[in-house]
Amino acid sequence: MSEAIAIPALAVAGTDLALETHAVTGTGVTLVLEEPASRWSLRARSADALAAVIGRGVPARIGDTLDGVACLGPDEWLADLPAGTVLPDGAGLPVSVVDVSSRGVVIRLEGAGAVHTLASGCPLDLERFAVGRATRTVFETVEVIVWREAADRFRVFVWRSFAPWLWHALKAVERG
Amino acid sequence: MLLIHCPYCEEDRPEVEFVYGGEAHIARPLDPASLSDQDWEHYLYIRRNPRGRHHERWRHTHGCGRFFNAVRDTVSDRFEQTYKAGEERR
Amino acid sequence: MSGYRLPAGGRIDRAAPLDFTFDGRAHRGFAGDSLASALVASGQMLFGRSFKYHRPRGILGMGTEEPNALVTVDRGGEGPNCGQGWGRRTPNLRAPSVALYQGLAAQSQNRFPSLTFDLGAVNDRLGAFFPAGFYNKTFMWPRSAWEKLYEPAIRRMAGLGESPTTRDPDHYDATYAHCEVLVVGGGLAGIDAALEAAAGGGRVILIDEQDELGGGALADQALWGEVADKTMALRRPRNVTVLTRTTAFGYYHQNFVGAVEQLTDHLAPAQAQGARERLWRIRAGEVVLAQGAIERPLVFDGNDVPGVMLSSAGRVLAVRYGVAVGRAVAVMAVHDSGWRDALALKAAGVGIAAVIDLRTDVAPDLVSAARAAGIAVHLGHAVTGVSGRHGVSGITFAANGTGHAQQLAADALLMAGGWTPTVHLWSHAKGSLRWDDAWGAYLPDKAQENCRAVGAGAGAWDLGAGLALGTLPGPKPIWQTKAFVDFQNDVKARDIDLAVREGMRSIEHIKRYTTNGMATDQGKTSNLNGLQIASGSLSRPVTDIGLTTFRPPYTPQTFGALMGHHKDALFQPIRKTVIDGWADDHSAVFENVAQWRRARYFPQGGEDMHAAVARECLAVRERVGMFDASTLGKIEVVGPDAAEFLNRMYTNPWKALAPGRCRYGLLLREDGFITDDGVSARLAPDRFHLTTTTGGAARVLAMMEDYLQTEWSDLDVWLTSTTEQWAVIAVQGPLAREVIAPLVEGIDLSREAFPHMAIREGTICGVPTRLFRVSFTGELGFEVNVPAQHGRMVWEAIHAAGQAHGIVPYGTETMHVLRAEKGYVIVGQDTDGTLTPDDAGMAWAVGTKKPDFVGKRSLARPDMTAPGRKQLVGLLTVDPQEVLEEGAQIVADPDQPVPMTMLGHVTSSYHSAALGRSIAMAVIADGRARDGQVIHVPMPGRSIRARVVASTVFYDQEGSRLDV
Repeated sequence: MSEAIAIPALAVAGTDLALETHAVTGTGVTLVLEEPASRWSLRARSADALAAVIGRGVPARIGDTLDGVACLGPDEWLADLPAGTVLPDGAGLPVSVVDVSSRGVVIRLEGAGAVHTLASGCPLDLERFAVGRATRTVFETVEVIVWREAADRFRVFVWRSFAPWLWHALKAVERG
Repeated sequence: MLLIHCPYCEEDRPEVEFVYGGEAHIARPLDPASLSDQDWEHYLYIRRNPRGRHHERWRHTHGCGRFFNAVRDTVSDRFEQTYKAGEERR
Repeated sequence: MSGYRLPAGGRIDRAAPLDFTFDGRAHRGFAGDSLASALVASGQMLFGRSFKYHRPRGILGMGTEEPNALVTVDRGGEGPNCGQGWGRRTPNLRAPSVALYQGLAAQSQNRFPSLTFDLGAVNDRLGAFFPAGFYNKTFMWPRSAWEKLYEPAIRRMAGLGESPTTRDPDHYDATYAHCEVLVVGGGLAGIDAALEAAAGGGRVILIDEQDELGGGALADQALWGEVADKTMALRRPRNVTVLTRTTAFGYYHQNFVGAVEQLTDHLAPAQAQGARERLWRIRAGEVVLAQGAIERPLVFDGNDVPGVMLSSAGRVLAVRYGVAVGRAVAVMAVHDSGWRDALALKAAGVGIAAVIDLRTDVAPDLVSAARAAGIAVHLGHAVTGVSGRHGVSGITFAANGTGHAQQLAADALLMAGGWTPTVHLWSHAKGSLRWDDAWGAYLPDKAQENCRAVGAGAGAWDLGAGLALGTLPGPKPIWQTKAFVDFQNDVKARDIDLAVREGMRSIEHIKRYTTNGMATDQGKTSNLNGLQIASGSLSRPVTDIGLTTFRPPYTPQTFGALMGHHKDALFQPIRKTVIDGWADDHSAVFENVAQWRRARYFPQGGEDMHAAVARECLAVRERVGMFDASTLGKIEVVGPDAAEFLNRMYTNPWKALAPGRCRYGLLLREDGFITDDGVSARLAPDRFHLTTTTGGAARVLAMMEDYLQTEWSDLDVWLTSTTEQWAVIAVQGPLAREVIAPLVEGIDLSREAFPHMAIREGTICGVPTRLFRVSFTGELGFEVNVPAQHGRMVWEAIHAAGQAHGIVPYGTETMHVLRAEKGYVIVGQDTDGTLTPDDAGMAWAVGTKKPDFVGKRSLARPDMTAPGRKQLVGLLTVDPQEVLEEGAQIVADPDQPVPMTMLGHVTSSYHSAALGRSIAMAVIADGRARDGQVIHVPMPGRSIRARVVASTVFYDQEGSRLDV
């Protein structure tokens, strides 16, 4: 009863997980790894102050999105813009403009089963998550930003090194 | 899993998005050099640890990222109320 | 039809026979059977051996309350990970809850060599030596015998079932769910509540632990039509989700309910596809608990003989499964339900020998119905004994238990002891309970959550009238009887009485002393009986004694279900840098650092770690090496008050740092102890690129945010994590400049234009770079920061460009050695959260002119400057080839008696190829004052001598190799 137990080696180790660049389709949902884009972490004391610096509309309420800019906190915004877009750096002004284009990737979930797939590990009430809303939250132990573009389209922002795990965790969700 | 009302997001959010932040309304002394060793030790280590209403901080780390205050009953584990950082003790 | 299968009736499919084995013997049942019903139909009454005494045991109840019939089911193994099938072997399953499938292989437990002949039964003969709490009074002497003799023996004898020893090859699913109304329990009360909630329009989830809805109604044929109609009605609305084979195991804060859905265990393994179980984490607006009630056994001498079971179990077997529990069944009742069960069994074709009721005032319609059915009736009598060991052969009963003893031939005895509403989940959610005399049980009273109880679980179901007893009256005193209360933990009535005699007063103590209610069934059939017996022994009302706490899980759940997807490859995220793939392709050996995996060394040929590291170290010092430093934490600090903020956080001064320059920053906690460090660069008056240790990145950012948001919110500065924005390639060695020069554009790399501890922005290989001139090796060094998406391309370009210079990739091990040769501290290795800057020899990093910074005030506390503090120093072993073990303790005199006075420990230790000998760093009390002293490091069987050197710089003390 107290003998050492020989556990056979894992068939697949956590370190073997890799992001897949081709879309993966399950029942009712397709997972897509998006192409790189231009992403910025933006800080300022108010939406107006930030808008004045970057020359774009900035939503004022936490959770709102506007033309690719999401309000994540009272002084924090994420800009998700077409690749190659450059924003003014706001030097000398009470703002923070930081390029985070390489920091993470976006996994898109499309289809009627998108809510079900995301609900596997995200504790928010996703059925009631408004279209056009974005928030930072978690998927199990991994921090993500969830951005709902349509009833059946969610975009999940995740830091680069957590992406392989997240991709495979989403793939592992049972459907049907 | 608790639901905690974030006063910034203005929404009840699941506990896993938050990190506990210790007792609230303990301001860092503005002039630490002028404090006696006992007073500094008190600031560093001595906490009320009440049975019942506890004023404490939480941070919505995996959400809006803000620190805020809460009154929670340490016996029932119920949140009585939450309020923004910087506001008066409730 | 043979055995005990009734010729007709039941909800089984008689057209679908199933073959299965129990303890290797072949049996046959039908689709819709459970393992228990199919075995009883075969005539099997013996199901297991009890935990402590190894008494032969059979079915007590036909629901999740079953305490005795714990079996192991092996679903066989396919695939490379299954060994002898242990990977799919599950112990301690309750036979009534195991769905029958073709080829099911089940085994009884806790017996050797066999169920019918079990050597463990010797415990039963020696029962007098194993009363309640015996282990508090025995197995103590001699003390030395505990480890070698008693404990191994007890471990072999104890426990129920055997754990698997092979990896579980199945996978498990998990999900969150939200609904407006969650109904737990799919009997008629729960079904009605779900239909009503569905009409309200919100999302409704109804869960039930059985394979079909109906609950208790499944054992009442008159209600089958209603169950069928309403089950159909539940399928129509789109807002209703019905989950069967799903057990709500825990009810947590604010209507958060955990449940596990069985997906494939009811299917033959060949048919099982997909996940085996699914974890549901449900947040409900309102919870409706319809968990029903569980029948109580009666406590009397002989109540645990196989064939003695709950009356409701006999009814479920007959009505739901078409199985007769016996051919001459006696019923002992103190509750009306026993009479109704007897009549139902008779109607189904089961022979009833008699109904015995302790009460004299039983409802006349029940008595006349029984007589009309030809059932012998004995009012005012109690069973006083049961004959038979592996099965019932007869019973003894007497008027009021104490009168003249009469015999009755019977092959099964049903007990109708009354009903206990199931209040487990109600109690998890801290709902209060109130005692109800009519039920003889606790009922839900006031909820703390948005929750209500319905049906029998709320005491709102008419099951009839009855008595609530401790033990049945009998001729023997309690301490001479073998009357069982907790069947799974083998707790007898006399054990509870013994606990009271030994001074236990509170039910919490009685429970723990006797282990009553502490088995995997959590007292479902024993709590209330135990309370009544304690009440009698204490001569206090039941409500005075209290009730023990119910805790999740309601029924045992598997680790697999609770882990969900976090299994095997998905157990936890393993973070890799963009360069990791290159390291993997080049035979790197990896190690885990925080959540990352990092290349530790790059063995070539048949090199072991020692040889590889020696080669890598010499290559860096003689030529050039390259190292993936991408895991380091990075924070972009931006805003007009950036320098002011850093000045307040770190020990060193920041305001005068010119753009384009770097500084080493030391970060303390407010209590004055070192918590992190890193080299940081000023890019502009209002922009800094901070670095932290790999493991400290998140913690440092959180600490800084705390100060920024809650202490200094007036400062205009913001922090952004950029750890994963930048890949970092360290190029270190005398030829470093030559390697990168051809690749870099827009930056003058000359010594004059680009001094040590500076930063320049430009491009490398056509992509933007922040180029740091910093060194963690003591050689000329650069750290090439590029956006992570270009990291691998740039690494490969540097590697190619470096070939002409003999460049060598090196890993974390070499990195550790090279920095140790220079005495550079690694926070978290050489420090442990109890070192001040001065302790670590870094008083130079503390700004003397700064009025305040985090931790400054603490540095002035008397203990922080007192003598005797551990100080970081170097150690050179007297035998230069001896390498000390990291963590080894240090003493002044190795011959002192144990426990020795420990002066400190070794924090870092390596063989240095550059010096041709070992080096080490250690923290030692008054370390610097011991310069030149020989100290001792005791190891198993010997002691190593080493000389203390106050300086931790072993190589290039002047630092001339940096200044090139």
